[in-house]
Amino acid sequence: MPLRRRDNLLTWLVVGPFAIVLAFPFYWMLQTSLKSELDLYNTENNPFAFGEGSPTLDNYRFLFGETQYGHWLLNTVLVGLVVVAITLAVSLPAGYALARLSGRWGQTLGVGLFLVYLVPPTLLFLPLSRVVAEVGLQDRLAALILVYPGFTIPFATWLLMGFFKSIPRELEDAALVDGASRLRTLFWIVFPISLPGILTVVIFTFSLCMNEFIYAIAFITSSDSKVVSTGIYTELIRGDVFYWGALMAATLIPAIPLALLYNTFLDRFIAGFTGGAFR
Amino acid sequence: MRDGSSTHSDGGGQEMAGGRTTRREIVKRAGVGTILVVYGGALPKTAASGVPKYRTRELAGTLKIIQWSHFVPAYDKWFDNVYIKRWGQANDTEVIVDHINQADIPARAAAEVAAQSGHDIFFFLTPPAAYEDQVIDHAEIVQEVTKKRGKIKPVAFKSTYNQKTKKYFAFSDNYAPDPCNYRTDLWGEVGLKPTSWDNVLKAAPKLRAMGHPIGIGMSNEIDSNVALSALMMCFGSFIQNKEQRVVLNSKATVNVLKFARELYRQGMSNEIFAWTAASNNQAMLAGRLSMAMNAISITRSAELINPDLASKIELLPIPRGPNGRLGLEHVMGAYVVWKFAKNKPMAQKFLADLEIKYIGAFENSKFYNFPSWPASVPNIARRVERDAVAKPSGKYKILAEIADKYTLNPGWPGNTNAAIDEIFQKFLIPQMFAEVAQDRRTPEEAAKIYDRSFRGIFQKWRNLGKI
Repeated sequence: MPLRRRDNLLTWLVVGPFAIVLAFPFYWMLQTSLKSELDLYNTENNPFAFGEGSPTLDNYRFLFGETQYGHWLLNTVLVGLVVVAITLAVSLPAGYALARLSGRWGQTLGVGLFLVYLVPPTLLFLPLSRVVAEVGLQDRLAALILVYPGFTIPFATWLLMGFFKSIPRELEDAALVDGASRLRTLFWIVFPISLPGILTVVIFTFSLCMNEFIYAIAFITSSDSKVVSTGIYTELIRGDVFYWGALMAATLIPAIPLALLYNTFLDRFIAGFTGGAFR
Repeated sequence: MRDGSSTHSDGGGQEMAGGRTTRREIVKRAGVGTILVVYGGALPKTAASGVPKYRTRELAGTLKIIQWSHFVPAYDKWFDNVYIKRWGQANDTEVIVDHINQADIPARAAAEVAAQSGHDIFFFLTPPAAYEDQVIDHAEIVQEVTKKRGKIKPVAFKSTYNQKTKKYFAFSDNYAPDPCNYRTDLWGEVGLKPTSWDNVLKAAPKLRAMGHPIGIGMSNEIDSNVALSALMMCFGSFIQNKEQRVVLNSKATVNVLKFARELYRQGMSNEIFAWTAASNNQAMLAGRLSMAMNAISITRSAELINPDLASKIELLPIPRGPNGRLGLEHVMGAYVVWKFAKNKPMAQKFLADLEIKYIGAFENSKFYNFPSWPASVPNIARRVERDAVAKPSGKYKILAEIADKYTLNPGWPGNTNAAIDEIFQKFLIPQMFAEVAQDRRTPEEAAKIYDRSFRGIFQKWRNLGKI
């Protein structure tokens, strides 16, 4: 067997099982979302095949026709984008300052910031409820926009700090010697090189916002202001009855673009996370 | 401005000049515009709305309600789109209702209390005695309804009235009876009926051998709490007596723990230790269980999904034990009006009106919500008997009997109180049963240890003046 072919085969043997394991939840969600209730609950049916009344688009019809799912998706995207913008606006200068300007205190401050990220929301949601009520943001998306940066900024700053450290200081020195200001150097030299780190922050922050649950459930209860993570949980689980088909459809729909996004920027994402690892 | 007609300058630009707009003004207007767009789009709750729908809205204001997503979607549709709209128009009040998953009710309530802000009316599925200091006395609402509809059902009274402080810490509009759901085809093969716990224990090994175990949860969830507490009462085991003194450590408790251990060993699967509030339903609908203690959500779901299976699931009162048939409500609908509610008068009126004309709620919940004032729905027995969907017909007739005879409050024979609430919220009853079933404690040890733990909880609330 030629060496190249053997390498390919070996790669597939190693990667193949991983790919199957990781793709399985998506397959399961898709299949369940296309099944009728009767088929789903019949334990004698082959779970990997379609049974009576399946495949059907009923679950998707129910989701878009009987719930405010479209609204929840839009709310999620809106909150995600605004929080990403706020996070970048704060963590880019903060990460740079901690990496370059604050000397040996930078590292300590960076670790301190990261520790803030580790405080669990289950501990914070009660006092934050008071804050949200005081500023009159209960039941408004702005409550999430206010609170989410509290955990996205520390992580993003810490990540970017590591990334900025991996950029050779000589590049900036050269620009400064050529007469560029610190700000100009930052925008024209540092940020373009840091694109993998910035993309990582964008994707990761957006994912964090999509996945967040505790604050969203505690601060927002009106149907039209819910985000996906809480909307499907509160309106597709009614008492002790689960709408499994619709639940799977509802989780699959936002998962696909996010998975594609991760996949498209995979190399940069890895570079972003490992950027500061060797400094 | 270069034309010299400016009114004033700050060196960086001009504000207005001869009716023309400066760059600064454009930026300012764009900023205000952006805020308005975001305000109107992203923050719909505060956005300036259109023409007010209510003539004298400024008089009565807005009423905010939060309650669970009812297992019957039609109930929420009726409540959200018909009832509150009609009531709102009649009372010049905008009523906003939000829905929440039943499992998140405690967290949401804690958040609202912490913030001292939130909804005017909050709905619980178990009597929320621990929040007594945070709510108004609901006595006025109770009196108003009693004036129109006669006596409150004892289960509702004992679930919402504090014997010690003489305060109604909640207002119950409904409760759900908790029948025994069993598969007639499977039990027919065994030649028994789950009319007594003895029969259940006799049939359980055969049913499990047929691949259809009994399903009574021993897990941290509401159904386990209810089913096991009812089982205890059928054996004469109680958490407290009428005077609200802990009486758990008794021979009856040891007996019921022994019974449950045997039932688990002979006729259940270890899935019951990971039971959730949906497990009864899912396992019955999947055709796996032969029996479960649950409200009628099982049969109602089966009627929609699998009518053939629905016709094989029958309802009975709780099986008889050595101490008789003593059942618990499956859920106790309990509304509270927070002390920090912004619109208390309308909240009280809303709850009274809801109960006084409860037929709509009763019918739209498909007989899940039984009225806490029986006279609010005339001829309940005849209504449930005539259910059009029931197979066999008359299947739901038994609900009226269960509601009348076998539905008691948590903590019976005493009233439900904050200690009982805490014991339920911490799922200590299912934990006690699970420890014995898994042989981690003997029944005697468990009865003694949990008795001590319950005494601590009772003492805490006694010190706070609530018991």
